[in-house]
Amino acid sequence: MGTTSSAARTPSAFSRFAHEYMIVLITIGVFVCATIACTIKFGEPTHFLNIQNMVNILRASSVMGIIALGMAFVIISGNIDLSVGAQMVFVGIASFNVINGLEPSIGPYAAIAVGIVVAMVMSVALSMFCGFIVTKGVVPSFIITLGLSYIYRSLSIFELQSGGINISTKVFQKISNTNLGIVPMPVIYFFIVFAVYLYISRYTVLGRRIFAVGSNAQATRLSGINTDMIKIQAFALLGLTVAIAAVVEGSRMNSMNSSSSGLGYDLNTIAMAVVGGIAMEGGKGNFVNVLFGIIILGMINNVLTIMGMDVYLVNAVKGGIIIAAVLLLRSRGKLN
Amino acid sequence: MENALAMSNITKTFGGVPVLIDVDFTVGKGEIHALIGENGAGKSTLMNILGGVIPRDKGEIELFGEKVEFHTPAEALAKGIAFVHQELNVVNDLTVYENLFLGHELKGKFGKLNKAEMIRRTVEIFERIDVEVDPTVMVRDLQATYKQIIEIAKSVLFNAKLVIMDEPTTSLTQHEVENVFRVMKNLTEQHGVTIIFISHKLKEVVEFCDTFTVLRNGEVIGTQATKTPEGRPVDQADIARMMVGRDVINVEVYKERKEGDILLSVKDLHVPGHVNEISFDLHRGEILGITGLLGDGKEELARAIFGDIRYTSGTMELRGKRINPKQPAAARKFGIGMLPANRKENAIIKDLTVAGNMTIVTLPDYRRGPTLIKSKEYETATLYKERLNIKVQDLHNLIGSLSGGNQQKVVLAKWLIAKPDVMLLCNPTQGVDVGAKNEIYNIVMELAGLGMGIIVTTGEAAEAARICDRLLVMYHGNLQGELDRNNFSEESIMILSTGGHLN
Repeated sequence: MGTTSSAARTPSAFSRFAHEYMIVLITIGVFVCATIACTIKFGEPTHFLNIQNMVNILRASSVMGIIALGMAFVIISGNIDLSVGAQMVFVGIASFNVINGLEPSIGPYAAIAVGIVVAMVMSVALSMFCGFIVTKGVVPSFIITLGLSYIYRSLSIFELQSGGINISTKVFQKISNTNLGIVPMPVIYFFIVFAVYLYISRYTVLGRRIFAVGSNAQATRLSGINTDMIKIQAFALLGLTVAIAAVVEGSRMNSMNSSSSGLGYDLNTIAMAVVGGIAMEGGKGNFVNVLFGIIILGMINNVLTIMGMDVYLVNAVKGGIIIAAVLLLRSRGKLN
Repeated sequence: MENALAMSNITKTFGGVPVLIDVDFTVGKGEIHALIGENGAGKSTLMNILGGVIPRDKGEIELFGEKVEFHTPAEALAKGIAFVHQELNVVNDLTVYENLFLGHELKGKFGKLNKAEMIRRTVEIFERIDVEVDPTVMVRDLQATYKQIIEIAKSVLFNAKLVIMDEPTTSLTQHEVENVFRVMKNLTEQHGVTIIFISHKLKEVVEFCDTFTVLRNGEVIGTQATKTPEGRPVDQADIARMMVGRDVINVEVYKERKEGDILLSVKDLHVPGHVNEISFDLHRGEILGITGLLGDGKEELARAIFGDIRYTSGTMELRGKRINPKQPAAARKFGIGMLPANRKENAIIKDLTVAGNMTIVTLPDYRRGPTLIKSKEYETATLYKERLNIKVQDLHNLIGSLSGGNQQKVVLAKWLIAKPDVMLLCNPTQGVDVGAKNEIYNIVMELAGLGMGIIVTTGEAAEAARICDRLLVMYHGNLQGELDRNNFSEESIMILSTGGHLN
């Protein structure tokens, strides 16, 4: 009854502040802990605490961060995608083949343009196809995308016989390996995608309806809305980010490896979205918070590397921090 | 008579707002005592205090003459107080006996379940309350009425002496309600159990309960027997007046209208297993009721028209043009809207705000270019908030913070904004209190007056009688009969809906 819940809706000023900005508090907490840890280890904090390192954190997070933004839409719509890492490699290989093939005849710039368009069209089409199977087949996206990830990875390895593909033109490397001032281009791309996806989530019909579908698909359908189409479009938004990630990553490395590229990207991007407050049950989330989720995971990866933690232990620490962060966010949920 | 329960001077304040003010509530042993009042009157708060769910600020509770103090529901249960909730807490994928013993399973050596004993005791319990159910059948395969009865059986299993039932009949039809009350009467008369019955349905209160207490704004307005000394039932209109503080039931909501041309023409519509070749016409400005017992196809008929489920044969014509909506999105484009039954599952988008729920259908209308203009959205929402008298402080609040009646008005509003030609209303006043009911009826009248064609599916004969121009009665998926407004009577509706014929 309204009367009983009204008591729960009058929390103290502090808990209301914590409720609104828990993710910011966690970000500051991780930042402070990282600074302290570095100070203890090295006697001074500047290994972690310097502008260049902050830029590094953003650059290292940019490719997965771009995918995490698309992933957020898919999770909000009530689905999940475990195939983004393999799809990025699959799409990247196809696109780079096109670039390498066209470059001698039409020149590097035109070839790269065509290659990027191919990556985007192909990736969006694959994701929409995935959404189509999930909605029309009424099967869990978890299973379908798990299957698709095996297919994409296997086909990529088969095509390159487990090797990699290099891009012949040097021009391609410039996409990711140039700076604007001190800011690397991948960070710029990330913030452009972030701005566009934030806009879609807040100021478009599609954005609102993705939240509605994830919150109550049946009620949304009975509001005269084609809910299957909304879910498929959420997948399309993810497909687009996967294509952008393929180009940015391919350019930064000047290659794409069929067996090692994109490994772990699926769960890492899901973790970014979830630490950023996107609820796995769908319908809830805020893209500004996802930005913080991406930065939190970026800082954790960064500081553990700086501290020289054993590579084999890094994931254990990361896992623990992810669980702690989500538990903190949950306690906020209970307050509500 | 000995008292089962005596609560005195119960006072409770939430954040400075008094919710219960010096409430005295006494229940005699072995009676069915109805606790009634509008949403927000304090019924649930009072019962939650009794059950140890929330603490009280002041007051005393005596249970069978003994002063008690509960801090948790488990303590209350140990003293013989059981709750039967409105939302069925049964697990569909378990059998009847597994549900009954859920959380209290009987175990043998090594924790092995003692199934034989549990089944035996289930049979025994159902015999005691005189109900025939196979204990090993899946609950999924039972009718809603039996699910409710399982909940009641649980309280028998726990040897509850006082059972609190929170709107147990909301989703049941007349016939099933009688079933549930038969079991309740059996409990009180044969086993000396006392029942507190929370309800919005005044008809059930006067027919089946012994005594009623009315709460309004946290205060007891009165406690009375449901029968006068001469043995006549108390007038429902009097009870409603006690609840709301003004006359509501006798208020005439029906208004004469001029009917227009045929708007929707349904011919031989067939949904296998639910709707059997039904034909009817709906005119502009007409309010057409469809009634029948639960599961006799009235919901499915409405859903088929809206494209929510597919019909296998038959045709529909809207404004003389053949239509065949394959999904609700298509029906909406043709100008058909539907307020579905079971608001919580089918209509409420809980993570959106009140305004967000109101504008979800018409969202593309608030764009400039691709961008949603929130001020435009808010403007429309405010307009309809005022038009439908929706009580909400801030349209940016989540929809869940509203009472049932106000939520229903929001759902109605989202379709009114879309201005459909045909509006299907399934159980439009389900879980809505008496005051808000009238407001919804008035809105329906107004819409019909503007030329909308309205189909109302309802399980309540009284509701049909108050607003419908014409009533179709379904039985086992067939159209059993049609009644004009002049010939509405609960008796003839009952005859038709149980498969009989009128002379």
